[in-house]
Amino acid sequence: MANPLLKEHVLLRHRDIEDIHKIDVYLAHDGYRALEKGLKEMTPDDVTNVVKASGLRGRGGAGFPTGVKWGFIPKNLNPKYVVVNADESEPGTFKDREIMESNPHQFIEGVILCAYAVGAETCYIYGRGEFWTLFHGRMQEAIDEAYEKGFLGKNIFDTDFSCDMYLHLGAGAYICGEETALLNSLEGLMGQPRSRPPFPAVAGLYAKPTVVNNVETLANVTPIVLHGADWYRQFGTEKSPGTKICSLSGRVNRPGNYEVPLGTPIRYLIEELGGGIIDGKAVKAILPAGASSSNMGADKIDTPMDYESMAAAGGMLGSASFIILDETINAVWAAEKNVKFFKHESCGKCSPCREGTFWLTSVYRKLREGYGTKQDVELIETIINQMEGNCFCLLGEFVVPGVRTSLELFRNEYESLASEENEVDQPQKDLIHTFF
Amino acid sequence: MSDNVTLTIDGVQVTVPKGTLIVEAAKQIENEIPVFCYHGKMDPVGMCRMCLVEVGQPAIDRGTGKPELDEDGNPVVRFFPKPMTACTTTVSEGMVVKVDTSEAAVDDRKAVLEFLLTSHPLDCPVCDKGGECPLQDLTIRHGPGNSRFDYEDKQHFPKRYPLGDLIVLDMERCIICARCVRFQQEIAFDPVLAIENRGRRAHIVSYSKPGFDSHYSGNTTDVCPVGALTTRDFRFGARAWEMTNVPSLCNHCGVGCNTVLGTRAGTIRRIMPRQNEAVNELWICDKGRFGHHFNGSPDRLTTPLIRKGEELVEATWDEALSLIGEKFGAIKSANGADSLGGIAGARLTNEDLYVFQKLFREIIGTNNIDHRVGLSAALEDETAFTVGVGVGTDLGSVGKGTTILNIGADLDQDAPILYLRVAGASVKRGAHVINAGGRRTKLDAQVQTTLRYNYGSAARLALGLLASVVSQGLVAKEWADSRTSGMADLEKALKNFGADKVAEATGLTTNAIDAAAKAFAEAENGIIIFGLEAGNDPALRAALEALALATGHAGKPNNGVIAVLPHANSRGAIDMGILPDRLPGYKPVESNAGLSAVEMLTAGGVKGLLIAAADPAVESESYKQALQQLDFLVVQELFLTETAQMADVVLPAKGNAERDGSYTNLERRVQTFDMGVPAPGKAWADWLIFTGIAGQLGADWAYASADGVMAEITQRVPLYAGMDFKNLTAPISLQRKTEHYIYEGMSFTTDIREGIQWATVAESDSAPKIPLRFIEPAKASSQEQGLTLVAPRMLYDGGRLLAEADVVNAHILEPQLMLSRSDAQKLGVSTGDSVTVSQNGTAITVPVYIERTVSEGVALLPRNLAGRPAEKLVGPNGLYSTVKVEKS
Ligand SMILES: Cc1cc2nc3c(=O)[nH]c(=O)nc-3n(C[C@H](O)[C@H](O)[C@H](O)COP(=O)(O)O)c2cc1C
Ligand code: SF4
Ligand code: SF4
Ligand code: SF4
Ligand code: FES
Repeated sequence: MANPLLKEHVLLRHRDIEDIHKIDVYLAHDGYRALEKGLKEMTPDDVTNVVKASGLRGRGGAGFPTGVKWGFIPKNLNPKYVVVNADESEPGTFKDREIMESNPHQFIEGVILCAYAVGAETCYIYGRGEFWTLFHGRMQEAIDEAYEKGFLGKNIFDTDFSCDMYLHLGAGAYICGEETALLNSLEGLMGQPRSRPPFPAVAGLYAKPTVVNNVETLANVTPIVLHGADWYRQFGTEKSPGTKICSLSGRVNRPGNYEVPLGTPIRYLIEELGGGIIDGKAVKAILPAGASSSNMGADKIDTPMDYESMAAAGGMLGSASFIILDETINAVWAAEKNVKFFKHESCGKCSPCREGTFWLTSVYRKLREGYGTKQDVELIETIINQMEGNCFCLLGEFVVPGVRTSLELFRNEYESLASEENEVDQPQKDLIHTFF
Repeated sequence: MSDNVTLTIDGVQVTVPKGTLIVEAAKQIENEIPVFCYHGKMDPVGMCRMCLVEVGQPAIDRGTGKPELDEDGNPVVRFFPKPMTACTTTVSEGMVVKVDTSEAAVDDRKAVLEFLLTSHPLDCPVCDKGGECPLQDLTIRHGPGNSRFDYEDKQHFPKRYPLGDLIVLDMERCIICARCVRFQQEIAFDPVLAIENRGRRAHIVSYSKPGFDSHYSGNTTDVCPVGALTTRDFRFGARAWEMTNVPSLCNHCGVGCNTVLGTRAGTIRRIMPRQNEAVNELWICDKGRFGHHFNGSPDRLTTPLIRKGEELVEATWDEALSLIGEKFGAIKSANGADSLGGIAGARLTNEDLYVFQKLFREIIGTNNIDHRVGLSAALEDETAFTVGVGVGTDLGSVGKGTTILNIGADLDQDAPILYLRVAGASVKRGAHVINAGGRRTKLDAQVQTTLRYNYGSAARLALGLLASVVSQGLVAKEWADSRTSGMADLEKALKNFGADKVAEATGLTTNAIDAAAKAFAEAENGIIIFGLEAGNDPALRAALEALALATGHAGKPNNGVIAVLPHANSRGAIDMGILPDRLPGYKPVESNAGLSAVEMLTAGGVKGLLIAAADPAVESESYKQALQQLDFLVVQELFLTETAQMADVVLPAKGNAERDGSYTNLERRVQTFDMGVPAPGKAWADWLIFTGIAGQLGADWAYASADGVMAEITQRVPLYAGMDFKNLTAPISLQRKTEHYIYEGMSFTTDIREGIQWATVAESDSAPKIPLRFIEPAKASSQEQGLTLVAPRMLYDGGRLLAEADVVNAHILEPQLMLSRSDAQKLGVSTGDSVTVSQNGTAITVPVYIERTVSEGVALLPRNLAGRPAEKLVGPNGLYSTVKVEKS
């Protein structure tokens, strides 16, 4: 699968090299050389510094500079942990899965390098519950191979550095992708976010210093250490260096993962890589970061896909899961789907999110079923205003931009569903949820 | 850097210690930020978002590092873009907080309330919390006027879901603040509640079996900020505003929890805790909360009864009292004063007990009085007089630097709220707690060190610890030299209690003994707690007293010894001299010491007996026989107990809710309670009855009230000087109140009183040196073959008062022998099988229950259960003995 923008993939190397998931193939293609270089030729601080210099930013969504994050880990508190966020639950995101399925060693190597850099000897990879087959198959096999070859375990490359790696599956909750909820879940507690401070870097897993990074982020670390920061910076932009895997889905002809240098315009992703819109229809809206995104109108299709430009255009790059809506899609229907998702996934810890998402679904349903009024359209706006800034964690805040931009861009669709009358009699529903 | 920070809240400056939360800082200036999930006793969680405020900080110029100033030279304040939760944000210097002065924050809080109400059933008219409900109150103050939520879409949950048999959940009302879950986790250390599922489906569940298995469950109904949790006995019992709230005290154990009686139309509708930071903080245990139903029981005695042949027939007070006067007078003139005697239970107040002993000592002229029957006979204590914990001791605040040594008290059963405070000191505040006991108890899970000694070796353990302190050179020389005497003799005596010997006797390692001794001696504060299962052994008490003195852990706050005496006024009974050989205030009886309860309850001991608030007939068959042989028996009681049924005259007494009085708790804190409800029929307060009897025998006492009796006590018992009711009920200082009192979750307040502790000898610098006592412990009983049968006390026992509380009946154990799995296997029995337990020719048959907390070699059969099977084997005053167990 040729990618005209990249001579060779940096992350999706399996697309260039067959069977790279097998350790022998991986070893034949520079496999674990970055680790050897890191352990033998570099101090832990050197590793952190090269990652800092590369300008790598977190691929889990927030885009926080990875090297800077590692630098926050206090040196004198032990033990420390590396926790990999493989929860990948954002609707429309499926990049980490491909890395782990097809190029696991590059990722594992990056995790070990991270552990070396921060002084951790234990790594946990926390995957969403649906990764059962992957975690019991390919990922575990890859870890076993790495142990066999001595890349994990005691005294790696005969150095003082030892490192263990464990896989852990969640029970299928979006909130467990939020790093503090993830840590709670990993500890066996309820998957609800923690208050910050303290930040995980200081008091994370079992209240010990912990780095939490996304799968893709760490997969980037391997080539950075091997080839250096300058090499890495040949891709992407000044502030958003490197390549990024974009998960493309929605009304396109060729959905899938595409690795592109950061700064590539959205149009290129949709039209060149994704083969354009089904039946040649027009783009209606772009959701660049799954359910958590704002809707970018079709006029934003030339925005370069890097952190700054996306933000400037009123969107966000997030995990780069582009969901494309075309003119056949009703905006209210699409927004309701996202709202329902959040209602289902709200952890219930704080009232604005727990009740706000529940309330929003109620109003959306009314509108869609034809019982809504003009006031209900305004009510939607009020509810998100009341949620905004008031939630305990970002999940609740993520609800707001999608709904707000949907209303802004497509208010006519909402109003056309709303009745002219102030009160509409709706039939009695059997919408009684009873639990226990 | 100073430890205080100054900030501005709604334009008002306030200076508070660093680390203070914004809510708490605001409280100092009476700016009440609304909260739901926040509770001053629990870690903040920031869940409900009710306390949102706008927060700004002085802007710092990056270049100079100095605060930025505006044109007028005032610091520029930069506000955070999002509102902050005042319950999780700590203050910082120069911070500006806007609560009511920020329109945005006011709107945010209104928004949160509207969210909370979307799922709320709004059934205030039938909700028990109505009228004292934070959700109701805060909605009126901060909330929207009406709801925009589509009523049809309300989420429905069961309205009546029993979490356990005491607590009922109405999940529709729950606002998921997790206070109940957190209380159980952080304060009760019984993490039996949880939130299950997520989002709007989240709901409260109990995972324990049986449901909500905790002695503290009722407190969750107080901390719940809505009517989601209710107690089974109060549900729909009364509206909050219809009740009168009367300050009272719990009468079920020695902790002395402060309570408030919610009364209406002459009955107690509920009991809730009354905050006393020195005793029970904001909590009471479930026995205290649910065990009040005896008060209104239809079985209460309502009128004096006089024996006519086989029958007890109703009589007037005049008839009853003059009959007693006549009979007691006749016995005295025929056989002398010492042919009369009295037994008074430690459930009576100080005033009752004082008048009781005065009646016997001054009017009748005998020292034949005692309070030691039943549990009171199983644990005595005189150490409080010398080394009781110092005045001002606060187990709710001790932490790092304090070592607490608990020997033989199962605090979760014996003194539940003390358990919370000791466990909290360990888990939350980092005190080193050493839990020494003959079996596993609940406290073990919360402490740093556990010592499991062989039953019967507690005194040797205490002496071993003392010897280890000496041999490790850890004696607090300066204090011991200046304040104690007899160190040289003690050291000599301790030679026989070297670590090796003690290790053998106790079954502990020498290392464990040395480490515990070191941890105790080297701590800044040292507190010793001992209880029933350490054995009623003067050698133990002397050793503990010497241990406290030798390590300097005496004579100051947060140091000294606490005996976990069994009853509400056990301490008071000793203070008031309800002992044949001790007068009020620990003065020994010079000559002619009287008979003990056991001696009076021996055939031929006395001819006439007055028994108040005690029921020896159920304790033992031999007591019963002795009672039958009396010439004349008077019983003063709440119920027609077994003993009362044998009486010649039965006198109806008032329960503690029906009168006022004072109790002295196990930390020597004297506290008063008020009258809450009228007594049934013609019942009298006990002190009045004793006064009446004294009158028949020629006294002319004119006590008008309990208060009046206390006035005399303050004159005649120096320890109680100054403890008149006026002082005992005096409000605490405003400063202490603002700093320590919260009254979260209750919209009513009743008097806050802290009571007064009397000072020990060790606290007085001018007192003569305290002799270090040593008593040789009894020889370990010959190695009899068999299991050690232990008869501990359970919180829910078969006592008469609790038996009247239907609501907790299910918690009262049926007699059963609790065995370890391995012993059960050896005997070839499993749970439910019956066994015969025998000792010295006495045998009983009970079912077996395999209990994992029981160690091998030990069998538990709680005392005070129906039929008193344990007492048959260990004796009415005993705690353990070696028994033979066979499959029957
Ligand atoms: C509601 C929510 C869900 C999230 N889900 C994920 C996820 O599935 N995977 C992920 O890597 N990061 C997720 N994040 C971001 C993480 O909290 C965290 O920022 C990230 O793991 C840090 O790694 P990075 O710096 O390598 O991006 C989520 C954040 C929130 C608030
Ligand atoms: S915003 Fe609140 S309810 Fe929503 S997921 Fe975060 S903590 Fe849970
Ligand atoms: S039951 Fe009460 S205390 Fe418990 S979470 Fe619900 S509202 Fe809070
Ligand atoms: S701990 Fe004791 S005094 Fe306190 S409520 Fe319970 S039984 Fe009553
Ligand atoms: S009181 Fe502050 S968030 Fe609940």
